[in-house]
Amino acid sequence: MMAEQQARAASSLNPLAPKPPHMPEHAQAKSMIFLFMAGGPSHLETFDPKPLLNKLDGQKRPAEFGDVQYQNVNSQSRILGTKRTFRKCGKSGIEISDLFPYQAEVADELCVIRSMYGDMVVHSAAQYQMMTGRIIPGFPAMGSWIVYGLGSEAENLPAYVVMPDSHGAQEAGVPMYTNGFLPSVYQPTMFRPGNKPVLNLDLPKGLTLEERRRSISLLKDLNKATMVGEDPEFAARMAAYDTAFKMQTEAPKVFDLNTESKETLDMYGVGDPKTDDYGRRCLMARRMVENGVRFVCVVSGGGGPEAEWDAHSDIEDNHLRMASWTDRPVAALIKDLKRRGLLDSTIVLWGGEFGRSPESEKGKGRDHHNTGFSMWVAGGGFKGGTVYGATDAIGLKAIEKPVHFRDLHTTILYQLGLNQDALSYMHLGRKERLTEVRGEVITDLVSLRTP
Amino acid sequence: MKAWIAILNVGVLLGVPVGASEDKVAPLGTYKASERNYWAFQPRKNATPPTFIEPGDKAWVSTPVDGFILATLKKVGLRPSPPADKTTLIRRVTYDLHGLPPTPEEIDAFLHDPSPKAYEHLVDRLLASPRYGEQWGRHWLDVVRFAESDGYEYDTHRPDAYRFRDYVVQSFNEDKPYTQFVKEQLAGDEMDSSNETNLVASGFNRLGPLRKNAGNQNVASSRNEVLTEMTNIVGAAFLGVTVGCARCHDHKFDPFRQSDYYRMQGFFAQAQPNDLLRATKEEQDAWHATVDPLQQQMRQLQMKMRRAPEEEKGKLQVELDAIDEKMPLPLTAIYAVKDTPKEATPIHTLFHGDYLDPRESVGARPLGVLLPDNTPEEAIITATPRLNLANWIVNPDHPLTARVMVNRIWQYHFGRGIVSTANDFGRMGGRPSHPELLDYLANLYVANGWRMKPLHRMILLSSAYRQASESPMEKIAMEKDAENSLLWKFSKRRLEAEEIRDSMLAISGKLNPKIGGPSVLVPIDRDLVKMLKRPQYWVATKDKSAYDRRTMYLIYKRNLQLPFMGVFDAPDMQLSCPRREQSAHALQALELLNGQMSNELAAVFAERLQKERPANPARLDLAWRLATGRAPTTKEKLLASQYLAEKPGDPVRWKELALDLYNLNAFLYVN
Repeated sequence: MMAEQQARAASSLNPLAPKPPHMPEHAQAKSMIFLFMAGGPSHLETFDPKPLLNKLDGQKRPAEFGDVQYQNVNSQSRILGTKRTFRKCGKSGIEISDLFPYQAEVADELCVIRSMYGDMVVHSAAQYQMMTGRIIPGFPAMGSWIVYGLGSEAENLPAYVVMPDSHGAQEAGVPMYTNGFLPSVYQPTMFRPGNKPVLNLDLPKGLTLEERRRSISLLKDLNKATMVGEDPEFAARMAAYDTAFKMQTEAPKVFDLNTESKETLDMYGVGDPKTDDYGRRCLMARRMVENGVRFVCVVSGGGGPEAEWDAHSDIEDNHLRMASWTDRPVAALIKDLKRRGLLDSTIVLWGGEFGRSPESEKGKGRDHHNTGFSMWVAGGGFKGGTVYGATDAIGLKAIEKPVHFRDLHTTILYQLGLNQDALSYMHLGRKERLTEVRGEVITDLVSLRTP
Repeated sequence: MKAWIAILNVGVLLGVPVGASEDKVAPLGTYKASERNYWAFQPRKNATPPTFIEPGDKAWVSTPVDGFILATLKKVGLRPSPPADKTTLIRRVTYDLHGLPPTPEEIDAFLHDPSPKAYEHLVDRLLASPRYGEQWGRHWLDVVRFAESDGYEYDTHRPDAYRFRDYVVQSFNEDKPYTQFVKEQLAGDEMDSSNETNLVASGFNRLGPLRKNAGNQNVASSRNEVLTEMTNIVGAAFLGVTVGCARCHDHKFDPFRQSDYYRMQGFFAQAQPNDLLRATKEEQDAWHATVDPLQQQMRQLQMKMRRAPEEEKGKLQVELDAIDEKMPLPLTAIYAVKDTPKEATPIHTLFHGDYLDPRESVGARPLGVLLPDNTPEEAIITATPRLNLANWIVNPDHPLTARVMVNRIWQYHFGRGIVSTANDFGRMGGRPSHPELLDYLANLYVANGWRMKPLHRMILLSSAYRQASESPMEKIAMEKDAENSLLWKFSKRRLEAEEIRDSMLAISGKLNPKIGGPSVLVPIDRDLVKMLKRPQYWVATKDKSAYDRRTMYLIYKRNLQLPFMGVFDAPDMQLSCPRREQSAHALQALELLNGQMSNELAAVFAERLQKERPANPARLDLAWRLATGRAPTTKEKLLASQYLAEKPGDPVRWKELALDLYNLNAFLYVN
């Protein structure tokens, strides 16, 4: 029975031991960093120029574009032009708005998908779908799935890390990042702000490392004293204590950004009050991946519309602010991964749970918008310097080569050498996988490997 | 056909289903013999327990359960393990029924009880204690995904949800017939809407996550989600089939058509939430004194917003949100449901489960494969739709209901069900390891008036349950049956998250034993609270002694699981959890070694030991008896004494030793 295989896998000595991918011949990436722009960044102000918007500014949406469902925009709403200007960047000439001068410098590494779409127009459900493939909570996030599929190469670090935004939570909350019904070993480690990001890595106050080393050796001796024969479960538990102890002593070294050069810190904008927070977290993400962590999510946005990409009331004000916090660190991460030879094996995904409406909300803002928006992917065998798919002339609907979240998930898994059907887990009588409806591998997004 | 079909009261048909006059009606459907012949849909068999000739075999059979177990073991050339010693046994059965360790006094009393019925008396004592309802009620709460917040973005608290938890605990303690238990939960309000217990129980229909959104409420979409939650849980919890899979298309493996799914949903078409205020006059007045002016302000702002120029709307919204955040928790209430025929939702099959794409109209009917072909459906509007469904479920001849519940009971005793997938008796689930035993127990369960305690007794008094957790023929047995599905030994188990915390509290002497009542919010790390969209909901309970209550009384919040619970495999309560994982990994070690709670409780435990036993060997003895239920072995005593002697009199050593005991396999596992 499959359920029994699962149980066995979970009780093997190290459930996080690295596992070979299902399709080693296709595996180009080993790890992934998701730069999650929570709240839904506007495609119209970033990667999808629509000159027609400015011409239609203040008018009702022309009927030929059809209708979509919104949260707040209604039939009385008017098209909102954009104040952003776009220019062709890099050798590839990808158009990027003046919101992102730093990302413009790495344009040739980006594979911009302009035809993303999802099923839900409200944050929580859209975030669940983006992270877990389902519009309801309770299912494992892609980070958990990927660790379930590949194990971890980071012995002294958590396998799956989420670095939340210290401004506060996202609508879907922690359940969107979690392991759902997968065993708890696949859960994310939620980093905390500051130099001590992992809970319980520090010794209790006043206790020396020597003292703790001694109590752990006593614990092992006591456990051995009553162990009868070989016991794989107890052996796994004792191995977990070894790992825990190693994490405790080794991980803080990885968390210490002081070993980075001034040049690197500057590149990420560490020290500049605007970029310091996201810069530190992006830099930390690189250090995680460098040390074998499988999946890192670096969240931008939380706590409410003003500190998220959720520009309901003023797109200019909101996006200028959010961009000023993140653009430089995001570009630095790409450059840094590239020069360290890590970009080829690391998928970097940028984007949010949806884009924003062509119509205005409250005069200067834009509403949620799930029927056509942009995300980009870099590294991990994704084709840099390309634009894939298109929305219509006002950015309302993805009309050319639409890409659903499930297709993106499937393609990401493919680049990691994972097959969406093989990466499954029996739950309540169903073979569950990341994609609810089967996704497509979008081969045009990736440089296929010739075996 | 089978007698139970009559239970489907087709006489209550009150005309055509809502909207049916214009809609295409889904065919009632026929089922092939091959679909009907699946074992779980067949009537239960009358199995007789196997008997034996050899005196050794005869002696091993303590209750009828053992006959089935032994016969199957013998068939594959295996033998049961020798009986567990009394020390092991009292710890095993106490955790099993109470989720707590036996006290040293209870252990001594049992060890020194010369009566041949000592164990039987122990079982009876444990079953009679209200602790039993707490532990077994907790299992049921996993199955029905009980939580005290809505989930999704607001994750609004349900401060009165505890009434349902208390109801479940109470029902187990009363040994309420399962038939009544099912009916009260599904349709308590329809049975007797003046009975408070029934009303609380009917809150079962509202236990699922609930999405509420800002902006334009999409009423149809929300209603569809609510109906989905109500329907799916019936399949998972009572019927043990994955009928929820048929929401988007015909079930791929089991004979459940999409129309079957929506016909099940038909029983809930009239069900609407019904909050019954239970606040006193003074409380209501005080609440209104706060809330009414706030609501007044909000209404004014909303009016203003409608007329305001677009540019000003953003600012107004911020003001609105600020007022919204000041709103106090709702008044104390019972979360019930009621039927509102006028608001009945027309039910259709939905193409790909999409509420925007309704296809054929349906009425209400249970699963077609369990009914004769072309059994008519009920109308959506009947006087007691959910009670009709409940009556069908609890019919004594229903092929699934008793088997599914008996299997759950077996699973919680042995760690694994006779069917290993407790929520799925379908083709993708496990096959029964002992089909005859399953039917035997189910028949007995029904014959005993669907009461659990006689069943517990029969299982707990069996030799199969009383085996040691190590077998002399481990190697051969592992080759033949690595999962121990045939029970050639007792499978040891790791304590569940709640049991670990409760035990740490209990042995340190700090456990607050209070049963029932509103949930406790413990103070937690600020960074954790920050991960909530609405951090203002997390207000720690004022009474600090409540922090040491049993874990089941700590609030179960969907968007904030206490880290301790998460690492030890407690479910997130978004979906039904039929069985918990038992993983072992480094985050658990870090939690128990460096976590604030374990270190604080280790200090309390060490203090207790020093206070109660001034001298060293006796102190070690007590430490082990509290943590592991037995005296330390010579080797253990030697190791611990050496450790202490390295720094004589150092209080840190005792605290660290206490912490080691919380981390010890002999503490964390039950043999």
